[in-house]
Amino acid sequence: MAAVEQVEQGAPPAVPTEPAHTDAQATHSGVISPKLGMWLFLSSDCLFFGAFIATFLLYRDRPGQKGPTPADVFDIPFTSVTSFILLMSSLTMVLALAAIQRGDHRRFRTWIMATALFGATFIGGQIFEFTQFTREGLNLDTNLFGSSFFVLTGLHGAHVTVGIIWLLSLWGLSMQGRIGQHQSEAIEIAGLYWHFVDVVWIVIFTVIYLIPK
Amino acid sequence: MTDEGHEGVVATAEGDAERAIERAEDRLPSEMTTPAPGLLPGELRPHPTPVQYVTVAVVLVVITAIEIATSYTEGTIPDAVIVVLLLGMAFVKFFLVAAWYMHLRTDAPLFRRFFILGAVAAVLLYLIVLTTLHALS
Repeated sequence: MAAVEQVEQGAPPAVPTEPAHTDAQATHSGVISPKLGMWLFLSSDCLFFGAFIATFLLYRDRPGQKGPTPADVFDIPFTSVTSFILLMSSLTMVLALAAIQRGDHRRFRTWIMATALFGATFIGGQIFEFTQFTREGLNLDTNLFGSSFFVLTGLHGAHVTVGIIWLLSLWGLSMQGRIGQHQSEAIEIAGLYWHFVDVVWIVIFTVIYLIPK
Repeated sequence: MTDEGHEGVVATAEGDAERAIERAEDRLPSEMTTPAPGLLPGELRPHPTPVQYVTVAVVLVVITAIEIATSYTEGTIPDAVIVVLLLGMAFVKFFLVAAWYMHLRTDAPLFRRFFILGAVAAVLLYLIVLTTLHALS
C-alpha cells in the first residue's frame, strides 16, 4: 500500500519519461475517457457480482433442500487447476500489453492468443464441471444451491466468454495490421476487463469453493 | 485470530510480495526489466516491467497453493481461523492483481477511487443484506 500512497501524495515518477505517442484523448480530468468508462463499468460490475455471491451465500445452506449439496459435488483439485489457468491468463494479458507498448507485434499476438486460449480452457473446464454436476443430479432447478451456483458461475463464464471474443478480435485486428503501438490504450482497456474477470474469480473460488460450509 | 492479527498477516504478506518483486530484476534482458516507453494520460509512473509481472504471477501461484492447502485443514483447526486465513489470502491476491496488473499503483488516483468505491459498496451492501436476512431467518 505504501507505493499506492506514494503516488497519491504526488511523488515524482521513478523514471521520468516523455508522453507516449498515442491516439488517446485525455479529458479535462487528465485521464482517458474510455479507460475512465471501463473503470466505472467495473465498479458497477462489483455490485452486480456482489449480488449473486450474496444470493449464493444466502441460499446455499437453506434447510430442507433436496438433491446434492456443495460437499457432494465440488471437486476442489479440478477447480484449482482451472483457477490456476485463469490466473496465468492475467499474466499473459499484461505481457501482451507490454509487448504492444514496445511495438513488438509478434509477441503481442502470441501473448494475446495465449490469453484467449487460457480463457477458453477455463470455459472448457467450467462446461465439464457443469456436466459432471448434472450427472450427479444437480441442475438449475434442483434446489436453491443449484440455482444460485449455476447462475453465479454461469454469469462469470459469460463474462469470460465476452472477454475471449474481445481478445480474439484484437488478435484479428493485429493480424490485419490495424493495431499499432499508439493504440495500446485499447489493449489496456481490454486488459482491465480481463483482470476484473480474474479478480472476481479469486473471490468466487475462495468464498464459494474453499471456505468451509 | 484477532482483527489486528489478521491485518498484520495481510500487511506482512503484501510487504513480502512487494519486496520479492523488487528483488527480481537482475540477469535478464533489458526489454524484460525496463518499463515500456512513454506515459499515457492518467498514468503517473511507468507500468511495471515484464519481470515484475512474472514475479507477481509467481507470488499469486504460491498464495493460491497455500489457500488450497489451508482448505484441506478443515477439521484440524477451527473453521473461523480457516475463514480468516482464506479471506486474507484472497484479499492479498485481489490487491496484487488490481495494483500491479490493473496498474492502480501507477495510474491516476481517480481510477482507484472509482474501483474502491464499487468494491467497498458491494461488500458493505451485501454484508448488511446477508446479516439482516440471516437474522430474520
